[in-house]
Amino acid sequence: MSTVDLEAKIPNNVGLRDNKRLLMALEKWQPAFLRWWKDVGPSDFNRNDIYLRTAIGVGQGGWAHFDYVKMPDYRWGIFLADPVADRKIHFGDNIGAPVWNEVPGEMRNRLRRLIVTQGDTEPASVEQQRMLGHTAPSLYDMRSLFQINVEEGRHLWAMVYLLHTHFGGDGRDEADALLDRHSGDADNPRILQAFNYPIDNWVDFFCFTTFTDRDGKYQLASLAESSFDPLARTTQFMLTEEAYHMQTGENGLGRIIKRTAELHAAGKDPQTEGAIPLEMLQRYVRHWASASMDLFGGEDSTNAAEAFASGLKGRYREGDGIYKDPKALQQSYSLEVPTSDGRIETKDIPLRRAMNAVLLDAYIADCKRIVERWNRELEKLGVSFRFSLPDHKFNRHQGVYAGFRFSPEGKLIDAATWEAHLTEWLPKQSDRDYVKSCMHPVYERGKYANYIAPPSQGANNQPVDCEYVKFN
Amino acid sequence: MTNRLCYVCEGGDCTEKGSGDLFEKLRDLVHQFDPLQQRIKIRRYPCFGACEQGVNVTLYPDRIFYSVVTEEDLPAIAAHIEGKGAPVEQLTGKVKPDVEQIIWDMLDSPY
Repeated sequence: MSTVDLEAKIPNNVGLRDNKRLLMALEKWQPAFLRWWKDVGPSDFNRNDIYLRTAIGVGQGGWAHFDYVKMPDYRWGIFLADPVADRKIHFGDNIGAPVWNEVPGEMRNRLRRLIVTQGDTEPASVEQQRMLGHTAPSLYDMRSLFQINVEEGRHLWAMVYLLHTHFGGDGRDEADALLDRHSGDADNPRILQAFNYPIDNWVDFFCFTTFTDRDGKYQLASLAESSFDPLARTTQFMLTEEAYHMQTGENGLGRIIKRTAELHAAGKDPQTEGAIPLEMLQRYVRHWASASMDLFGGEDSTNAAEAFASGLKGRYREGDGIYKDPKALQQSYSLEVPTSDGRIETKDIPLRRAMNAVLLDAYIADCKRIVERWNRELEKLGVSFRFSLPDHKFNRHQGVYAGFRFSPEGKLIDAATWEAHLTEWLPKQSDRDYVKSCMHPVYERGKYANYIAPPSQGANNQPVDCEYVKFN
Repeated sequence: MTNRLCYVCEGGDCTEKGSGDLFEKLRDLVHQFDPLQQRIKIRRYPCFGACEQGVNVTLYPDRIFYSVVTEEDLPAIAAHIEGKGAPVEQLTGKVKPDVEQIIWDMLDSPY
């Protein structure tokens, strides 16, 4: 087990104390990070005591310490999963060779781009969500929001550590730029478009953490297989924190669904009670699921093939040995491709080129599990409505389906049909206005906004009516 | 290297029911007869979606889905993994077949 230095200015288990040059560089970056948090992090609430989990190590059970903390005092640290002795590359062209502890020269640019793109999403989501505390539906949810925000901040630290340690002056410049770009900034926006829209209501927030953070999970999981061992170990530990973010979304939407279903079961109209109608929620699910699928990139991608071949990114759970061919040279992937004359044809592409599609398939199966879970709750409450996940071709702006129109069931349609059904399939302005009208803060201990059911359990075995946020 | 896997769910509900401890204890039990993970790899899994029936544990490719697993069940599960006992029948069949199928679909890769 690695030694954790909790007393250092930057808590870490990477031996920063013994690397003065790196320590100085990171200590120079730290005030800039804190300024960024103050300027564009959570608006207000920084003087309140929040019941937060702080990572203090990487071992089972010991990595999460709960206490009341003011967010600016949160101990953002650098933690890597413990190394595996004699770890070997387990996929791609270099299978069987020792993993790399330094960046191979020929991989430098590609790897830096991967880390910068991943790193850019972390502060971006904090910026997107900065106003949500003002409309929190309960103290429990407010705590969850801030837990996610501080951990996304820690994930930024994780990526900045890699940039500073392995990419010299270029890496330091990239680390600075991660704080210079801002979500929605017209002149200097975040790299991925999905991270440039404000998340200003809790339906969008729970959808984001369910679907978009889940894309992040699959991207991190593919990097956790990486032959560049520091990246693999960093992302492995990030995944343990990311799990909570996705549960917040999945359970949050589940609680909204439950509240609406309870009103239905009681013979009440959800909309007159200030709850979210299920049909409206379905439109939000379609929007966020399809937008998040775009983040996986092109289904047929030579970049993805090269990242796999060179050992930078593996498939989901590649290390578990669930794939038949760890080199992915023997098989092809059947991809549905729209043609210009309005048909869909199946095209076989080499499996390596389909790595984004393979990762997307794993993501879709996971999302299907979530939707089925919500539907079981509806069944239990005697409500006939059922949620569905849109087909992977629906509403896509990246990849082979971009520029074509598909119904939520995956049927190729013309532009007129699309326009005629658009407001039935995706959130319309009246939906957004209604959701906005439901967003009122509930700061009273143990109370919940009328559109959301209380959670079944509190955080860290605390009661549901715990004073998760103390207003000073 | 073996491709046999035992996944212990670490979703929110299963974690609340102590899946973290169960994972460690099962791993320790299996370690006694398989220290190098040559017969099976014990891993955590983010969520199986059968939250009401947690803690959930699966064996793959055996396609055995154990539910409502407690610490007392671990020796029997470990014995089955070792080949010294039958699957623990009383822990199976508690989850709807379609929920189970979603999990196998997630784990089955055509590649």
